[in-house]
Amino acid sequence: MEDNEKNQRSFGRHIVQTSSDISFCAGCNACGIVCSLVHDGVVGPSYNRIFMEKGTQSMVTVIHTCQQCADHPCYEACARKDQAMCLDENGTVFINDDFCIGCKRCIKACVFDPPRINYVKSTDKTKRKAKKCDLCHTRLEGPACVQYCQVSCLKLS
Amino acid sequence: MDKLYGYVGKIARINLTDSTVAFISTSDYVPKYIGGRSICNKIFWDEVKPGTKAFDPENKIIYMTGPTTATGIPTGGRTVFTSIAPNSFPEQYAWSGIGGWFGAEVKFAGFDGFILEGKAPEPTYLYIEDGEIKFLSARNLWGKLVHDTQRKLEEIHGKDVKSIVIGPAGENLMRNASVTTSNDNVAAKAGLGAVFGSKNLKAITVRGAGVVVPADIKKVLELRLKMSHPAMIPRPVINETEHGLPGATTIVEGGWQRAQVACSHGCNQHCMCLMLDMKSAFSEEKVNHVEKCVSPLAFNMTIDVPYGGPGGPGGTFQTEQNHYPACKMLSREVDPPDTSDPYFEQEFAPAPSDILNYWKHDFDKGSIINDLCNEYGIDKWDVIIWLLPWLAMGKNEGVFDDIDFGMEIDVESEKFIRYLLDMIVYRKGYYGNLLAEGMARAIRTLGKEKFGNTIYHGRYSRILDKQIDIPISLEGAWGHTVHWQGRGFQGSIAKPAWVATNLHQMNATRDSQTIQHHHDTFEHYLELKDDPCRSPLTAKAVVMGENMAEIKDSVTCCDWQSPNLFWPEMEAEMFSAATGIPMTKEELLNVGERSRLLYRAIMINHSGRNRQMEVNEIFAIMQYPDPWGETVTWDEWNDLVDLYYAERGWDKETGWPAREVYERLGLDEIADELAESGKCR
Ligand code: SF4
Ligand code: SF4
Ligand code: SF4
Repeated sequence: MEDNEKNQRSFGRHIVQTSSDISFCAGCNACGIVCSLVHDGVVGPSYNRIFMEKGTQSMVTVIHTCQQCADHPCYEACARKDQAMCLDENGTVFINDDFCIGCKRCIKACVFDPPRINYVKSTDKTKRKAKKCDLCHTRLEGPACVQYCQVSCLKLS
Repeated sequence: MDKLYGYVGKIARINLTDSTVAFISTSDYVPKYIGGRSICNKIFWDEVKPGTKAFDPENKIIYMTGPTTATGIPTGGRTVFTSIAPNSFPEQYAWSGIGGWFGAEVKFAGFDGFILEGKAPEPTYLYIEDGEIKFLSARNLWGKLVHDTQRKLEEIHGKDVKSIVIGPAGENLMRNASVTTSNDNVAAKAGLGAVFGSKNLKAITVRGAGVVVPADIKKVLELRLKMSHPAMIPRPVINETEHGLPGATTIVEGGWQRAQVACSHGCNQHCMCLMLDMKSAFSEEKVNHVEKCVSPLAFNMTIDVPYGGPGGPGGTFQTEQNHYPACKMLSREVDPPDTSDPYFEQEFAPAPSDILNYWKHDFDKGSIINDLCNEYGIDKWDVIIWLLPWLAMGKNEGVFDDIDFGMEIDVESEKFIRYLLDMIVYRKGYYGNLLAEGMARAIRTLGKEKFGNTIYHGRYSRILDKQIDIPISLEGAWGHTVHWQGRGFQGSIAKPAWVATNLHQMNATRDSQTIQHHHDTFEHYLELKDDPCRSPLTAKAVVMGENMAEIKDSVTCCDWQSPNLFWPEMEAEMFSAATGIPMTKEELLNVGERSRLLYRAIMINHSGRNRQMEVNEIFAIMQYPDPWGETVTWDEWNDLVDLYYAERGWDKETGWPAREVYERLGLDEIADELAESGKCR
């Protein structure tokens, strides 16, 4: 997405990476790892809901997160809106796994590149699921990625 | 066995000769051997015949992740290779650890490890994706530098693949060639890059969409918080004006920027310092450089590592309050010392370093040396601690007067260093070819008396305030250069620390210090310091360190995290959290000892290792004075070896473990096999 277009959009509360003069991302993957652990009890690249773009040789890491778009196009695109893709009282878009049919419409609708929704592939169609940041909204301690980032470079906007 | 948590369940046997793959169940080994080095040792013992040479197709490279790899347990991202090592002298079975993101991806792709066997008929790389292994032509990759290869593989297979590659050094069978991840993690010590080269294997690229399931998620999360010591505090990008060792820094023109990064998947340690905008060896473009401990040594070698105190650099002897891991002091990775520690004064009393005068400091030159080693895929330690000081010291003493390398020896000149490494990596001319065989072999061909033992007169002890002799070749043992051994670079450690380190090296097949920096408690130090060779505590600590090293490389965890002498259950907790298999620290120590014993059995069976060989191998380096003028006598050293063998339950005369030791650890069949050739009584 072009920068000016991005600037015109409005976003909800979301996870942000601090600038490098405050804290430098160690590129450790802990955020993605704990995200999938607390949600699904597994560690795997298709389960985390926060994305690292690691400069392969540069080692400078940029974290990509769901911006919780105010107009939530992913939610609007969901074939099972309000069952699979849902909105909570704070406007946070979250996925209810039980109803997600893995159709990928939300992923295609995400306005960001790379899309901020992950996808679990499986030969068993019932196991194909979209995975998206829900701000850990049911977690008492708040967002796990923020809690476990060991250099405190993530926070809630 | 029920579901294996932590592991993904399969090891791939990859035959490069006929491009076939077979699968082995990980549960054939677990939990007697838990992963990493312990499984490698078992597979090697079972599958590789004595007499196999490093570059024979019959040599195998065994690669294993550990049960914690990709579970989210910190430092579990480290993994291990074993093989007959071309860089050991003589060639011997050795291991090599590697961090990075490769190991986790191997598990996501469905494998706990693989056995690489045979030899591909032409340059080949392996592409592994979700359980499938393809043999692809590496014709277009052969000859490429390390990062060019990494980039090319990402172009072909997508940015999210993880690769390990060799550079031209590995292809040209340079004996200290490394295997390298995209972020310059290397398996370098054993020279396995050259074994890859001998198998025509340029790279392994992997991508996996699978999962790793740890048994106890609550515990994994608890470990993530608890293991974060030293505290991972926010580390912004810092502007620096100089670089190097404390008290011996290089002013950097225009300054530089420092940030800190983790070295492997899920790691909680800042083990690498990211140096932004460094001078690059191969392009005009400024590159980022990831500094490991050897890097400051590339920038300044006028003085020895100046950290001091009786524990010596790296915190060999620790107290509960000042528990700082080995080597981290070099990268400034430790919390400030706790001055309320009752032993603080003694622990941190400064010990002046030596003046070495190998070469002058130059930030850009240091950066170029590191970059050349990274891009060619060479073990930096060998180059920075051995090859270049040897040339500098030897030139000073005139030993190279009759040698024409094709260019005047000048370690101060970037041009010479580029010329030299190019000559060696591509085996150009007589000397390129000779030095590609590694320092130990090259020096023996040239004549050890002159090219190894000649005394360098440029070293001064600031402790004794006088000139003090070292040989121009800083050879430690088994074809590797010194590493915290009280001589040459990193010489300023006191006798209690270096006798222990030399014992570690004596029992190894390569430089062992990267995974078993010596650790002991300060209370022990106070008891053993006056006569370290006659104290059973020295032997006990070495045995603990060796067994812990097997555990570290098996669980897996890293040397900066483990062992924590004041949290002895840590590794057992990590293992149980990952696998759900209950494990006490005593049981885990048995796993470590079993793995170590297998390693010993391999050394005895393949290399005829015995006491005489070992004592002779290490004794020489300790005959040169440390900065206090200290050496060990033959009797002192042999007394310590007696104590060590007694602690191990090994025969004092032969150094061979007694049958009861094998039996105690459930290795009866190994004892039987050794007994057949008279090597177990
Ligand atoms: S998933 Fe994409 S479209 Fe949906 S809220 Fe997040 S950023 Fe916006
Ligand atoms: S807030 Fe929660 S769901 Fe969102 S990325 Fe962080 S850990 Fe994952
Ligand atoms: S946990 Fe923090 S330091 Fe680690 S990758 Fe995520 S944002 Fe970066």
